[in-house]
Amino acid sequence: MLISLIRNETLKLIRRKRFAVVMGILFAIVTIVTYSQHRLLLQQQRREWRVQLQQRVANMQNQLRRVGRTDSSWARSLRAEVSRLQFYLDHDIDPERPTAPLFVRRFVNVAGFLLLPLLVGILGSDIVSAENAEGTDKLLLTRPVRRWKILTSKLVTLWMFATLTLACGGLMAFVIPAALLPARGWQAPTFTGFQLSDTGFNAEAVRQLPLWKDTLIAFGLEWFALLCVAAIALLLSVLFKSSAASIGTMLASLIGGTILTRISPDWTAGKYLFVSALPLADYYSGEPPPYDGMSMMFCIALLGLWAAGALAVSYAIFIRRDVFG
Amino acid sequence: MTQANAVEPVALVADRLTKVIGERVIVDNVSFQLRHGEVFGFLGPNGAGKTTTIRMLVGLIRPTFGRVTVCGHDLRRDFEAAMRCIGCIVENPDLYRFMTGRENLEHFARMLGVARTEIERVAELVALEHRLDQRVGTYSLGMRQRLGIAQALLGDPQLLILDEPANGLDPAGIREIRTLLRRLAAERDMSVFVSSHLLGEVELMCDRVAIIHKGKILKEGDVHELISSRREMELRVDDVDKASLVLAAKNVVHTVDDGVIDVAIDEADAPPLVAELVRNGVAIFHAQRKVHTLEELFLETTGGETVG
Repeated sequence: MLISLIRNETLKLIRRKRFAVVMGILFAIVTIVTYSQHRLLLQQQRREWRVQLQQRVANMQNQLRRVGRTDSSWARSLRAEVSRLQFYLDHDIDPERPTAPLFVRRFVNVAGFLLLPLLVGILGSDIVSAENAEGTDKLLLTRPVRRWKILTSKLVTLWMFATLTLACGGLMAFVIPAALLPARGWQAPTFTGFQLSDTGFNAEAVRQLPLWKDTLIAFGLEWFALLCVAAIALLLSVLFKSSAASIGTMLASLIGGTILTRISPDWTAGKYLFVSALPLADYYSGEPPPYDGMSMMFCIALLGLWAAGALAVSYAIFIRRDVFG
Repeated sequence: MTQANAVEPVALVADRLTKVIGERVIVDNVSFQLRHGEVFGFLGPNGAGKTTTIRMLVGLIRPTFGRVTVCGHDLRRDFEAAMRCIGCIVENPDLYRFMTGRENLEHFARMLGVARTEIERVAELVALEHRLDQRVGTYSLGMRQRLGIAQALLGDPQLLILDEPANGLDPAGIREIRTLLRRLAAERDMSVFVSSHLLGEVELMCDRVAIIHKGKILKEGDVHELISSRREMELRVDDVDKASLVLAAKNVVHTVDDGVIDVAIDEADAPPLVAELVRNGVAIFHAQRKVHTLEELFLETTGGETVG
């Protein structure tokens, strides 16, 4: 029975052209960025990457010297970045040379922090509210199917399409750049696990992984984050009657939350917002989280809690509520 | 399941249904029953609680008090079994406009787990088989209404609940639907619950009718009994005064208005009275039973509020 319901939801999602729009947006963005990377590659052939990297490190160290020994989040993240770049210099690795595999790896970080959650928001925020707005819920809910099954079919469909969005994004991020950039390099070494401890940069924890393995881990984390975003989108879709209101709220909370974490990183309660924990792939790559005390496990648990809470509220409301006109 | 349902004496029982929202009582202690093979009309002005009642019947709204039993299944406790007996349209026939008629029917057929051949059958019943592959967004309101009835008929339910099924249909379309519903009731022993503001339609289509006003049922009964609850005969004669004297001598209550005499009399007593008038030399041009329309009945019952 659930399979039939999921088929129905899939058909509706495709017929509403939501997925086509999402794929179109991804295609356009990946193509434009690929082109810019291609230009970068042409320029880089004439540059001395070591000199540039050393220059960047020196600039950051100057900045740090100017602010003295403050311990603000900003200073700490700058210190971490210096250590990371120094690590690449020490091991003679050009972290900037564009290749298609590296593009895929970067895609999951860059897109994962705002673009992919936005796209999943577009897919999911009206999955219930559209039925409400179009009046079709009166037919959907007067069939011999319990309401929890209907909501479950919508959730599973949304999770399927969130997964598909990430997979198609990853595929596009390889296939399109492969036409212009070097397509090899999956075996290139990457370094992850840069950690910032109280005593400074901790190089002990750094692990070397082949790029493909590192990419898979980053995609796995991003996948989990997107499933959580989908659960929150479902909640908004249940709460709001109009599709515009629920999509709008989803976009506003994603963008607003992101702005908040950048503008006031010292307001520590912000670390409990789901948006703060969203860029899992970034934190995995060594980008420090915006708030102190946010370990990777904290972020994963936080997202999981948000998703579980969103689902609990969604089901409670959807199953019990009266459907008026 | 069909056999189990067949032994149930009633298709639908609404038992003391009540819906209170905040302080407001929307539906107040509404009870009625639908027998198998009967077409039941539900009349009431706007805001009378018609739609809220229908939404409680199909599980969209939880009653504050009271319960609904469909073919012997309690709607709340045994939702799936109860809803399997019901096909319905609540308010407008809102189907998925971005899908074709066939995709819509397939969508609901999958929810019921019925075969694809069902789709052809119900489409033929409502004469929509040639437009099934067009998008519902391109349909006229009448076609959407017919598609709505088609989806309600999927799975051959025991009970059909239709909210204003005549909406958006032209007179020919209304006649078709009426014929279809009467046929389904007669041939398949299907019970049909119809809300409508077209009193003439209810009169022609329904066996019984309930009138709801301000959340309460004011009257419920056989359509023809309700209509003929007050018997009157209309007489047109050559000499009104003489006729009036004859009637008075026989102690028959009557009124004279503009040369027409209204006589309160049972149908069976009419022939001897006519004979008596003729014997007294009154020439009769015209003698006819006066038929009350539901509209008149409704205005009497609700104290003058219009039906919407």
